[in-house]
Amino acid sequence: MTGIATFPRLPGRRVGASGGLTDRLLLSDVHLRRSGPADPVRHVAAESLVEHLARLGPRPLGGPGLVDLVQGSGLLGHGGAHVPAAVKWRALAAGDGPLTLVANAAESEPVAGKDGTLLRQRPHLVLDGLALAAEALGAQRAVVWLHGDDDGGRRAVRTALEERRRTGAREPVKIVSGPVHYLAGESSAVARGVLGGPALPSTRRPARGPHRPRTLVHNVETLARLALLARDRPPTSTRLLSVLGADRVVVEVEAATTFARLLAELGWDSRPQAVLLGGYGGLWAPWDRLADLPLAESALRSEGLTLGAGVVIPLAEGACGLRVTADLVRYLASMSARQCGPCAFGLPALADSARALAEGRGHDDLVQRLLDDAGLVEGRGACHHPDGATRLVASALATFEADVAAHVAGRACPARADHPLPGVDGAGTVPVAVRR
Amino acid sequence: MSRAPAGRLRLRVDPVACEGIGLCAHVADRVVALDRWGYPIVDGDLDAGAAVRAARRAVRACPRRALWLEPADQRR
Repeated sequence: MTGIATFPRLPGRRVGASGGLTDRLLLSDVHLRRSGPADPVRHVAAESLVEHLARLGPRPLGGPGLVDLVQGSGLLGHGGAHVPAAVKWRALAAGDGPLTLVANAAESEPVAGKDGTLLRQRPHLVLDGLALAAEALGAQRAVVWLHGDDDGGRRAVRTALEERRRTGAREPVKIVSGPVHYLAGESSAVARGVLGGPALPSTRRPARGPHRPRTLVHNVETLARLALLARDRPPTSTRLLSVLGADRVVVEVEAATTFARLLAELGWDSRPQAVLLGGYGGLWAPWDRLADLPLAESALRSEGLTLGAGVVIPLAEGACGLRVTADLVRYLASMSARQCGPCAFGLPALADSARALAEGRGHDDLVQRLLDDAGLVEGRGACHHPDGATRLVASALATFEADVAAHVAGRACPARADHPLPGVDGAGTVPVAVRR
Repeated sequence: MSRAPAGRLRLRVDPVACEGIGLCAHVADRVVALDRWGYPIVDGDLDAGAAVRAARRAVRACPRRALWLEPADQRR
């Protein structure tokens, strides 16, 4: 493997630190195991309740004022879609059934680890946000939702809840472990899962009957930011990122930091050809376009880009972007819940075409077929899983345009290096997702 | 998102409930097309009385009850 940097100066130091003018979310940047839950290579002690209270003072109570605060602050969701929290809060008014508030810690992108890291380092900040929102919205139940294999995350929450109970806090928070598959963190799947149904995506259909149970799902980082907001702390100017080089790291970075500076500070010793933004269901952007852009979501949005839930996967020079893309589309196809026809049939079709292109079995029609199939699948699932795959394909065709031309013309693939990725390393080792 | 005129309807499909049986396209090909795997494509607001009538036929025909009509200005 060439050109893939290590991150020698981690953990324990900060990237793009600006002197502590605002609150930060993480205690320290961390090296994670290459795949799986966000367990750090070297243990970082969680912030205790005593430390948490010393830092921030007692938690205020959540009341109607918080609704205005959320509205006025423009707090965005941090699970990937960046939906304003106020939009979700307003949507609740459509019903009057019992409300379950969910802190969603089931990040499913194989490289993502920022939510798990936040939960392990500052569980009380997340639980504060959950309790505040539950109080402000009059929820009957509050739940922390985790992947079934996230033992470290579960331990962190359980320990924190015990600390809080010992101080007499009356917060009826339950820990619920979902399945391990890729879609177990999708918000409609979470909503069904916490109500006792299968944790699979569903379509929002016209409500049948009054008093139906309602569920509000917030990402754990969103809740941590809410907890700071409710204490009148200035909004953090940072972004939590999960970055994959030779190692997987989670860092907290000033949002004004450019991609070039991020990779330089992480010890990336050569220039990548492109970066996969947002994870396997994300999109490619060429390095020339990204290098001087800041990591702030607003800046990326105005360029038609997004970092989703903050996953950054640089592609080394010498690796074949089309081959990596073919692997990723196959992975996404395997992770379909196979509930919706366009996803169940469309993603394998996309994966086959992407594979044919990457292996030089392409012909002139193949690129058009990829675009046509992507157009056919886009927006036609119950959730946005298929849209992630179509966006990935479309961005790959644009980003690796020169490679596409070479592959279609049947010239040898210029790739000199493999680019192994967690969950898709080696042929045929992709775990099988749920079956219907 | 463009805002549709008041009162205009939109045909929707629940892709989880849909099994690609295809009766909808059979009775209402004016408003439903099938993709190459046999699943309905119901894009677009219904702009005329005949389209709305066709959409209602499609809703009634579906053995999986996967289709419904909703106001076109409703947030998805």
